[in-house]
Amino acid sequence: MAPLGRAALLLAFGLVAYALLAGSYAAWKRRRRLALSAQNALLAAFPATLVAAVILLVALGRRDMTFVYVWQHTSHKLPLGYALSAFWGGQEGSLLLWLLVLTGYAGLAVWLNRRSRELIAWTVPVFGLVAGFFAFMLSFVSSPFNVQPAPTDGQGMVPSLQNPYMLAHPPMLYLGYVGLTVPFAFAMGALLSGRTDERWIVATRRWTLAAWTFLGVGQLIGAHWAYVEIGWGGYYAWDPVENAALMPWLAATAFLHSVMIQEKRGMLKVWNMILVALAFNLSLFGTFLTRSGVIDSIHSFAKSSIGGWFLGFLALMVVLSVVLIRWRLPLLRTKTRLESLVSREATFLYNNLLLVALCLTILWGVLYPILSQAVRGETRSVSKPYYDFFLHTFGLPLLLLMGLGPLVAWRKASLRSLGKTFVAPFAAAVVTGVSLLALGFGSSWPGLLAYTFSAFVAASILLEFVRGCAAAGGMLRLIGRNRRRYGGYVVHAAVVLLAIGIAGSSAYQTQRERILKPGQSLEAAGYTLTYTGLKAVNGPNYTGFRALLDVRRGGSHVASLDPGENNYAIEGPANEASIYHDPRSIGDVFTTAQLVPKTNGSIDLKVFVKPLVNLIWIAGFVFVAGALIAMWPDAVEQRRLAARYAAGAAPAGI
Amino acid sequence: MAAALAVFVVYTALAGNGVAQLTPSTVAGHSGTVTLVGAVVGPLKGNSYERGGLRFHLADIGSATPARVLVDYHGSVPDLFKVGRHIVVNGTMRNGVFVAQRGSLVTKCPSKYAPAKSSKT
Repeated sequence: MAPLGRAALLLAFGLVAYALLAGSYAAWKRRRRLALSAQNALLAAFPATLVAAVILLVALGRRDMTFVYVWQHTSHKLPLGYALSAFWGGQEGSLLLWLLVLTGYAGLAVWLNRRSRELIAWTVPVFGLVAGFFAFMLSFVSSPFNVQPAPTDGQGMVPSLQNPYMLAHPPMLYLGYVGLTVPFAFAMGALLSGRTDERWIVATRRWTLAAWTFLGVGQLIGAHWAYVEIGWGGYYAWDPVENAALMPWLAATAFLHSVMIQEKRGMLKVWNMILVALAFNLSLFGTFLTRSGVIDSIHSFAKSSIGGWFLGFLALMVVLSVVLIRWRLPLLRTKTRLESLVSREATFLYNNLLLVALCLTILWGVLYPILSQAVRGETRSVSKPYYDFFLHTFGLPLLLLMGLGPLVAWRKASLRSLGKTFVAPFAAAVVTGVSLLALGFGSSWPGLLAYTFSAFVAASILLEFVRGCAAAGGMLRLIGRNRRRYGGYVVHAAVVLLAIGIAGSSAYQTQRERILKPGQSLEAAGYTLTYTGLKAVNGPNYTGFRALLDVRRGGSHVASLDPGENNYAIEGPANEASIYHDPRSIGDVFTTAQLVPKTNGSIDLKVFVKPLVNLIWIAGFVFVAGALIAMWPDAVEQRRLAARYAAGAAPAGI
Repeated sequence: MAAALAVFVVYTALAGNGVAQLTPSTVAGHSGTVTLVGAVVGPLKGNSYERGGLRFHLADIGSATPARVLVDYHGSVPDLFKVGRHIVVNGTMRNGVFVAQRGSLVTKCPSKYAPAKSSKT
């Protein structure tokens, strides 16, 4: 089977190389049949990659230890689901997943836009270039089809990865990372072909939205995984590997907003090209980061030799983006100017600047150890206070703008109209802020501001829906008429929930730690946790204990928790957190316990009371709902766009 | 954008200097709080709840050099902590011993792409 897998990868490499070379020549010389041939080669690369992927999956499912990759990442006792998830559990499998998704996306995107011949003619070689790099890596540098004499058993999978989230979190991130290639390829195709109108944006809007949604959901799933599995009571550590996914998401968020300005007013063409290139290159940078080992992370990634390859490819892509944008600058310049600093387009611009500023400061934080090593000769790193400072500095104004933007008129807004529009959201914000201050929430000003701004945004979204429903005659009709706009508002509502959840669970968190003997109690934020005794547990590959806790609030029993520890035969001890989800506070009582040696059953109990933390996970569902509404096909919009571009749909030549 | 950059420059100039991230072979002679990254080598002595604390040696990750530093740690021990694991810990060098800040020990998540284990079974 391994030779067949290798052959399939070589075939895929040949096909995408042909798509790159023949496609470039055909687009340059305007050879229509050759361009079609290159397009077909790109389409055929997906089934070739699929064959390789199926072979690896079958080998993983059969625990075929003659495959070095299978031996490294599975064992005979590993349940089938986790054995199959090892597909993306290792480096070579992850590269194969990347190529599979990329060729699938590329084929579908090209096929769906096949009528925009001139744009597609140059988009195909760009896809070919990116896919060619991954196919080359898999064929000649890092193959998942290396074989060996079969050992008796494999090395297994780390226990913390043996979690249902392993089945969803990595693929979601890959669908997001790779998805950003589609708008990038179309943008570069537009620059190469000189078709720098809005067509490439229209062709890729849903692709960008889908990639952005996958990336966002992937990060939320990862955050929840870390929260329930690792036992440190947090969900985001500003770790370079986490930041690697956040940065392209922020750049894509800015892009999704600024394309609306280009579509409506024909402005920000250069900026949009920069943003789409930034988002794609940051997704490559994330991959480089995880594979090179150049930056220290709490995720223990190997210092693999492929980091250099990725750095080289990243440099090539950055240079290509800069050169093409510089070359087509005259075509990208627009005559439309910003008419007023108080207008819808101005608020979108402010939103963009803040998102990009946040993204770049995170990038600076990630690169700081390398830069400090180069400049000072000593590796230094920035940590949570640095990131928190910039999250407050840029994130809070961003939150406020989310409420301001949708209510400000296009082109120019008068102060009088602004006063009328904002009176209700402003009143809601003031009432919320003053009430919270009176209730003692002034202990954290970022938290207080986050709640106050959230009230403002929530009120403005509600106002938009109420007004819209009154005009349209119902919620469904309203959303049906403008899915993109109201889907966007639903996503904004998700961000409000996220902001409230993050503020509540971080700014107003209570943390307690104490060594307890059986019968002793610990108080935390109105909860009393009494340690009643120990219980031994035995699993298939571990032994462990659970500390039994009686949780009371106001004297009434509300929950029984059992934090503890599993001691895995191979991997060693791992904390098992126990969490009470309190429906009244939409928050959690999060507990971990460790046995204190030589004390006859004493435990070190750590308790985090995290108000409103569950809003973060609820926000994920609202986010997906909003994104789906915005992505849902809109027949009216399709007809409008078809009419707009009918004249130039099939230009002469290609 | 200019305002954003100004905030950024001011912050990084005044407060964003970060913490030195050192390895066992480079930590000697450093004063002040630093972050130490290394691989746990045995033996583990004592425990983190006793006066003497949990004591173990750290070595450079993936290095054959004999440089090691003795770490003295108090507080809760994170997931998957054992000999061979890669850890990150904050603290200060005092009389040749790295005195860790209470509860600052983090075991690196042995995530995907983790180095292959040393020998075949």
